[in-house]
Amino acid sequence: MSDASADLPEAAVRRLDSAAFSSGLTVPDFAACLELGLQPLALVQGFCVMSWRWYGAGSAYMRGMNPYAPGGQVQGAYAETYRCPHGFVSAEHRMWGQNLEQTWVESAWAQGYGTSYNRMLEEAASLGAHGVIGVADRVAELADTGTVEFHFLGTAVKVMDGPPPLGGVPWTTYLAGQRLTKSIEAGFMPVAVVAAMASVRVWAYCMTEYLMEGSRGWGGPTSPQQVEQVSKAHMASRQLARKHVREQLAGDTLHGARIDVVKRELAQGDEVIDCTLRGNRMRRFKDFDVVPPPRPTVRLG
Amino acid sequence: MTDIPAVDVRAEMLSGAKSLTVAAAPTKSRGVTSDLSIDEALLLHAAGWEPVDLVCGVSVVSVPMGVWNWGQGEITSAAAGHNAAVREASAELRNECVKVQGHGVVGVRVDVEVHPHHIDVELTGTAVRPVNQGAHPAVPASPFISDLSARDFTLLAGAGWMPVGLAFGASFVYAPRRSAGDTMRQKTQNIELTNFTEAMYAARESAMERMQQSALDVHGQGVVEVKVTEGPMHFARHAVGFTAWGTAVRLVADAHQFVQPQVILPLDDKIVAFEAQSLRGA
Repeated sequence: MSDASADLPEAAVRRLDSAAFSSGLTVPDFAACLELGLQPLALVQGFCVMSWRWYGAGSAYMRGMNPYAPGGQVQGAYAETYRCPHGFVSAEHRMWGQNLEQTWVESAWAQGYGTSYNRMLEEAASLGAHGVIGVADRVAELADTGTVEFHFLGTAVKVMDGPPPLGGVPWTTYLAGQRLTKSIEAGFMPVAVVAAMASVRVWAYCMTEYLMEGSRGWGGPTSPQQVEQVSKAHMASRQLARKHVREQLAGDTLHGARIDVVKRELAQGDEVIDCTLRGNRMRRFKDFDVVPPPRPTVRLG
Repeated sequence: MTDIPAVDVRAEMLSGAKSLTVAAAPTKSRGVTSDLSIDEALLLHAAGWEPVDLVCGVSVVSVPMGVWNWGQGEITSAAAGHNAAVREASAELRNECVKVQGHGVVGVRVDVEVHPHHIDVELTGTAVRPVNQGAHPAVPASPFISDLSARDFTLLAGAGWMPVGLAFGASFVYAPRRSAGDTMRQKTQNIELTNFTEAMYAARESAMERMQQSALDVHGQGVVEVKVTEGPMHFARHAVGFTAWGTAVRLVADAHQFVQPQVILPLDDKIVAFEAQSLRGA
């Protein structure tokens, strides 16, 4: 057993040492994999169950009950403050509001995602794999326990007669089969699957509260109007997710990106917007071969 | 037909694997991001376009209180809110496209959520630009937006047309009510409920008219790939919403270019026309 597999479960070590290979590939993908000169070694996986700590009222991370309260905000993180235009003070009137990037939630997500990814790589490295193809990842709540499970699964492969990657760290991709073959043909080599989550908390101020509950109340407009604070928070969550992913690209290309957005309404106007972006980081290893212009066809039958 | 030379994919794979044995040279390039599949990226290149960046546009527009209460006719505030949300989201998407020097956005995914007090519109797509920048040096002030796939975009461009923007229209209407007398009288009749027919007909036409008007606003000559949705609001079953959207297009060539598709007859027909067993007779 190599050092890389030192903390793998015993069953995983026995399975990976087995003479039989396993793969999550479909039969066509398996055939395409062999055609590419990739030898499947085993299904590899990584898990990490994370518990999110309390980030609400009273925590060190909470922005506080007024715009000047100190919090766990990181320098340079996104924050935007909104102030009441009505000019009066009342306990029930939200005089200020804020959009705030929850960097601590983002780093917790990145920790869970990165840990489970690295465990999958450990399994692959223990087999001497060069890459992991057909990666599938899942982030879900674990059986109503208030915890979040990160799970990676993929097929470890070896490039027949090929050199190991730099540092022995296997490359990874969500692609397999025909799509992987086409990428290689087009001159794109997979480097890694990349993902990032951006979390933006909306603390509604009076105008946002009125607009999100139907434009009523003090000075609230009675015709449709853009809710600037929430619209900006949505845009910020997407822009931050792209920024975090771009930081992992180092000039490479992101193919097949997928954006997933989860919104959780906490109170009238108050919400959390979590945006996850994932995709394939690809490196161009040869000049692009432009395919001939496609010829339209009509299929009979 | 030209023969495409066979590619030695094993040799290509080895070249790719070798490229990862050395560290990548440091670069200040932003790198391309896109939600296109590799097929779509290749197809775009074949047509002279390339992806630049993943771009988004989001808008949340409020709906005044009380608009979903029982009433008659069209719910104009909701329709105005809906159309404003699409307009604002499109403007955000265009801004992002201009920032990354894109000439347009293809494959736009349209997500619309209608809530009792606000309407959320989210647009996500890939900004693209011509590969040969010399032919199109300036980034247009108003890039096109299209929900067409890269495949359909390529086909459209090949026929001499270009998308100019998203065409969108919405209409909301109260389900008409009948008087108690009418209800009782019509219980024993086979009869068209003309007030229902007229209300639904008018609402559908309004949504489509608004869609066509929005196409004209962006100087489109027509709309392709029109999608129509309709149904009651989940929070107000007496209110019915209609939306119609598609991609506004404009002829940029001197005349429509006929693509003259090649007819193919696949031989892997799933329907077995001849059963050998039938030769045996009864």
